[in-house]
Amino acid sequence: MSLDLTIRDLVVKTREGRSLLTVERLDIPAGSRIGIRGPSGAGKSTLLFAVAGLLKPASGTVAWGKHLVSDMGAAERARFRRENVGLVFQDFLLFEELSSLGNAAIAARYAKRSSRRRIVESARAGLARLGLDTLGGRRVDSFSGGERQRVAVARALANDPAIILADEPTASLDRASADLLIDDLAALSSETGRTLIAVSHDAALHARMDLVIDVVDGRPLV
Amino acid sequence: MVPEFWSEFWYGLPVVAQDALWFVFLLLPAILAGVAVVWSYRPFSLVRAMIWRYRWTNALFVLLIAVSVGLGVGLIAQERGIRKGTARAAEKFDLVVTAPGSEVQMMLATVYLQPVDVPLIDGATYDAIASNENVALAAPIAYGDSYRESSVIGTTAAFVTHLSGDLTDGRMFQAVDEAVVGARVPLDVGDSFTPSHGVGDGAEEHAHDGVSLRVVGRMAPTGNPWDKAILVPVESVWKVHGLPLGHRPERDGQIGPPFDPDYFPGTPAILVRADQLWANYALRSEFTTERTMAFFPGAVLSQLHGLLGDVRQVMSVMAVVTQLLVAAGVLAGLAVLIRLYARRLALLRALGAPDRFVFSVVWTYAATLIGAGAVLGIGVGLAAVGIISRIVTARTDILVEASLGWPEFHLVAGFVSLTVLIALLPAFAALSRDVITDLRS
Ligand SMILES: Nc1ncnc2c1ncn2[C@@H]1O[C@H](COP(=O)(O)OP(=O)(O)OP(=O)(O)O)[C@@H](O)[C@H]1O
Ligand SMILES: [Mg+2]
Repeated sequence: MSLDLTIRDLVVKTREGRSLLTVERLDIPAGSRIGIRGPSGAGKSTLLFAVAGLLKPASGTVAWGKHLVSDMGAAERARFRRENVGLVFQDFLLFEELSSLGNAAIAARYAKRSSRRRIVESARAGLARLGLDTLGGRRVDSFSGGERQRVAVARALANDPAIILADEPTASLDRASADLLIDDLAALSSETGRTLIAVSHDAALHARMDLVIDVVDGRPLV
Repeated sequence: MVPEFWSEFWYGLPVVAQDALWFVFLLLPAILAGVAVVWSYRPFSLVRAMIWRYRWTNALFVLLIAVSVGLGVGLIAQERGIRKGTARAAEKFDLVVTAPGSEVQMMLATVYLQPVDVPLIDGATYDAIASNENVALAAPIAYGDSYRESSVIGTTAAFVTHLSGDLTDGRMFQAVDEAVVGARVPLDVGDSFTPSHGVGDGAEEHAHDGVSLRVVGRMAPTGNPWDKAILVPVESVWKVHGLPLGHRPERDGQIGPPFDPDYFPGTPAILVRADQLWANYALRSEFTTERTMAFFPGAVLSQLHGLLGDVRQVMSVMAVVTQLLVAAGVLAGLAVLIRLYARRLALLRALGAPDRFVFSVVWTYAATLIGAGAVLGIGVGLAAVGIISRIVTARTDILVEASLGWPEFHLVAGFVSLTVLIALLPAFAALSRDVITDLRS
């Protein structure tokens, strides 16, 4: 089933009612690779959170295929993320005391019994393909920044999501590590037809995307 | 109403089974909550990692729980230990006859050797008691003198044997200048000493100068203040005070019964042992006269314990209230501790973990700390009771044994159940936090 992203008249507000993000119309076909850039505070992360179903918009619709994320309750949105979305955060956000596999396969702890094995296997495969299989059972608090970010990518991919959302995935990496990660992300999406949306300042990342969207003052320029 | 078959079943059970069932029953809410919360998830290694992350903070929290639980446990265990110890100390004193007065005071003087000035019982009365057909043992207990920390008590060889059985060292006294010491008296067989008149600070040290008594034997430990006492023939006490020696002139030099009423100077107390249990009651009413008072120290003690029963209840209530306060403290502590993990919990929720899983992580974390604190608290309680018992034993010479019993385990089980149920609240609160706010923090 293909998950095209359709956004209509989306408005995200703060609790106090100030408008953070307004998207009149945005369509992203399944399998696209989209870069998002813009000045700090423009609303890039907010846009990403909105499409991830992490927040409830004030009005408008966000739909992935027939999943009307903007209308869902919190529990339903969690299920949608669990089944369809892989998230990569700017500052890794790993469980420092777990191993790379423990982090990458974290979804197995709360997944349905029947899919646990598949998640662990695919986490292991993901770590191997990202070159982390040699690190063994070490706790990730001893990992380098690049290694941690790749563990986070492996975690995002472990449940075989149709959508990968990455917020500044290369921000804390040196050039070489950043390039490696960009290669990985681009390859992972093009091989399997996943949609990739990556917020980034990194021109090298933008170069590998199908389309780069600028966000300014809480509005994507499309 | 409790159905009849149930009360029949319940009271038909052995006491141990009742206690064990109570324990399970009190712990059941915790167990059921645990099963219900964790069902079908695997939060444990995640929780272990979380606990390890802030191990010192968590350890401190566990320690606080342990100390509070330990205090509650210690309080009730200590109270019971002292009650049992004092009762055990009075076991050998079946029936005591003294001059009329306060039973409590006489009991304290006779059983626990707390000094008191009392009128004496005369020879005729003693003779009447000793020659009663139901009396197996009638021993004078003549207190009033002391040597250093030890009371010097005049009595008979039969009483020494009744009190502690065979001597562990030496032999029984056989002459007026011989003495048998209690297990914890710092005198050795062969040592000599001079008793003082009176006991404690009021003792007149030189009143009995020129008197020298020799230790010839040592009693086995009895677990009561008599372990610190020095026992001498009652004739010795009389002699030291310049009184007749209890026997007609032609039987001069005799030690022990029978005594001659005309030459019997008196004794403050008489221990009476009946040959039959039932006879004790008959003897008590027989010896309750104008000039004598007869009482069962065990009964007086349980009256006292009964009076103190109210105090005991207050203490139990205090122990429970303390645990409730601790539970409230635990709640506040958890609310703070869980904030330490706000970002990780937000991460789990952002990744799509079901609320129930996040809930189970938070609750398992809380329950682990509480459980660890409770188990450690039992250890703390045991240690506290051990130390306090040793101090009480040293101070009072009443052997108080430290042991944990079912009431303590019931208290701990109730505490655990209550607090892990309370811990559901911060677990709920963790779910009401805003994911994005916590992610950004
Ligand atoms: N809950 C909130 N309440 C009030 N203001 C908020 C809230 N969340 C975000 N904002 C504000 O909304 C704006 C957009 O935030 P957002 O994080 O989306 O920016 P961004 O484009 O990702 O910036 P950066 O490049 O620095 O990450 C910022 O000015 C931020 O302070
Ligand atoms: Mg941002």
